[in-house]
Amino acid sequence: MNKTVKITINGEVFEQSVPVRMLLSDFIREVASLTGTHIGCTYEGVCGACTVQVDGEAVKSCLMLASQADGHNVTTIEGLAKDGKLSPLQQAFNDHHALQCGFCTPGILMNMDEFLKVNPNPTDDEIRTGLVGNLCRCTGYAHIIDAVRDAAKRAR
Amino acid sequence: MYPAVIEDYQRPASIDEALKAAARYDAGEALFLAGGQSLMQAMKSRLVRPRCVIDLQAVKDLKGVSASGAGVRIGAMTRYVEIAKEAKLKGAYGALGDAAAHVGDRQVRNRGTIGGSLCWNYLAACMPAANLGVGSSMELISASGKKRTLVADEFIKGPLDTARTDDEVLVATTLPAAPSKAGSAYKKWGLVTDALPVIGVAVYVELDGGGAISKARFAVGGLATGPKRAKGAEAALIGKKASDAAAIAAAAEKASAELETQSDLWADSAYRKNLIRSLGGEMIALASKRAAGQ
Repeated sequence: MNKTVKITINGEVFEQSVPVRMLLSDFIREVASLTGTHIGCTYEGVCGACTVQVDGEAVKSCLMLASQADGHNVTTIEGLAKDGKLSPLQQAFNDHHALQCGFCTPGILMNMDEFLKVNPNPTDDEIRTGLVGNLCRCTGYAHIIDAVRDAAKRAR
Repeated sequence: MYPAVIEDYQRPASIDEALKAAARYDAGEALFLAGGQSLMQAMKSRLVRPRCVIDLQAVKDLKGVSASGAGVRIGAMTRYVEIAKEAKLKGAYGALGDAAAHVGDRQVRNRGTIGGSLCWNYLAACMPAANLGVGSSMELISASGKKRTLVADEFIKGPLDTARTDDEVLVATTLPAAPSKAGSAYKKWGLVTDALPVIGVAVYVELDGGGAISKARFAVGGLATGPKRAKGAEAALIGKKASDAAAIAAAAEKASAELETQSDLWADSAYRKNLIRSLGGEMIALASKRAAGQ
C-alpha cells in the first residue's frame, strides 16, 4: 500500500513513505508543502495548472504517481526564481501583465520555461501551440504570448 | 480524483522482470504503466483498479528507434516527443510523425508513448489509426517466454481492446523496409487545436515506376467500432496517379461511403463522413507527394 520514495524537488531531497496511489501533484503540495503547483481540473489532465518539470521536461504532475518520480529531479514554480530574483520568463510575465488571477500561471511558466529551452526562437504560432495544454480563463492568452515572445527576445 | 488503493508498485529493469512481476498476480490485476497519459486518467476515474502497477520506465530494451535492412523498429516505450522528430520515420512512415506531433499537448508528448497508446486503443486516439494505416506489426512477449508478432490489423480490435493478453508485454512496433517510392501521412480533426480526433485519417501509398499508385492503405480512427481500413478506397487507388484529382476524390468518397460512422456529442454521422472525405483526399495527396520524394 505504501512505498518509500525519494524525490528531489528544487534541489531539496524529500524522502517519505507514501501510498502508492498518491499523485505527484499531491506529493508536491502535501508532503513537500510546495503549494505553488496548482490543481485545476484534478483528474482529466486537461488544465495544465499542475505542470512541473521532471528531469527538466514539462509534465502534468496529476498524471503521474509520486512513485514514478522516485529517484528523479522535479522542479516546481518555487524553483524558478534564483536568489530572490525572478527568472527572465517570470520577469517578462510581470512586465507584460501576463496574469490576472494567477491560478494557471505556475503551470504555464513551468511549461514555457522548458519550451524556450527546446525552441529559443519561437514564432507566435509555435508559442500558441506550445500553450495548448494550459488553460487560462482570464487573459485571453494575448499578454502571455507577448511575454513568452519577449522573454525569448531578451535571452538572445 | 485519485486512484483507488494500489497495493504494490514495481519498477522492473528488464522485460523479463516485468513479466515475472505481472505473473505474481491474477490476469488483469497488475497493469503495465508506460507513459501513463491514458492509464492514469483511467485509474483516477476508477475505470481500472489495479492491485499492482508495473512501471516500465526503467526497461531500456523498450525504448528508442532503430533502423536496419529489415526496416524500422520503434520500442514500445518511445515517447511522442521522440517519434515526432524522428528522421527514420520521414517519408514512408511520415504518418507516425504526423500523428505523434499533435497528440494532446507538449506535456503529454513528453511522457506519452506509442506502445501505451496502442495497447490502450482508445476510441479517439491517433496512434492506432496511424499504425493501421502504415501497416506496422506488434512484437509481443509473454511470461512463458513465448514471442509473437501480429500485424496491426490483427492487433487492433474495438475500442479499448487489442489482441494483447494480460500476461504479455508489447515490446516494439516494427515497420518493414519500405520501397523507395513509398509515403504516408496522417491528419485528424478535433474540436480545438490538437484535440482528440473526431476523425483521423492515415494513408500509405507506394508508387510504381510510372508514378501510379501500386499499393495503398487507408485507415480511419474516431469510429465507434475502433480504427478501420477502407479497403474499397484502397482498391480504387490502384493504378491512379496522384495528379488525378478526380480519382483521389472518388477514392476518398468511397471510404466515406463504406465506413460506418456514429453520431455523438462531438459530431454527427454525416459530418464524420464529410471529414473522412476531406481529410482522406488531403492525405492521399500528401502521402503520394512524400512517396514521390517531394
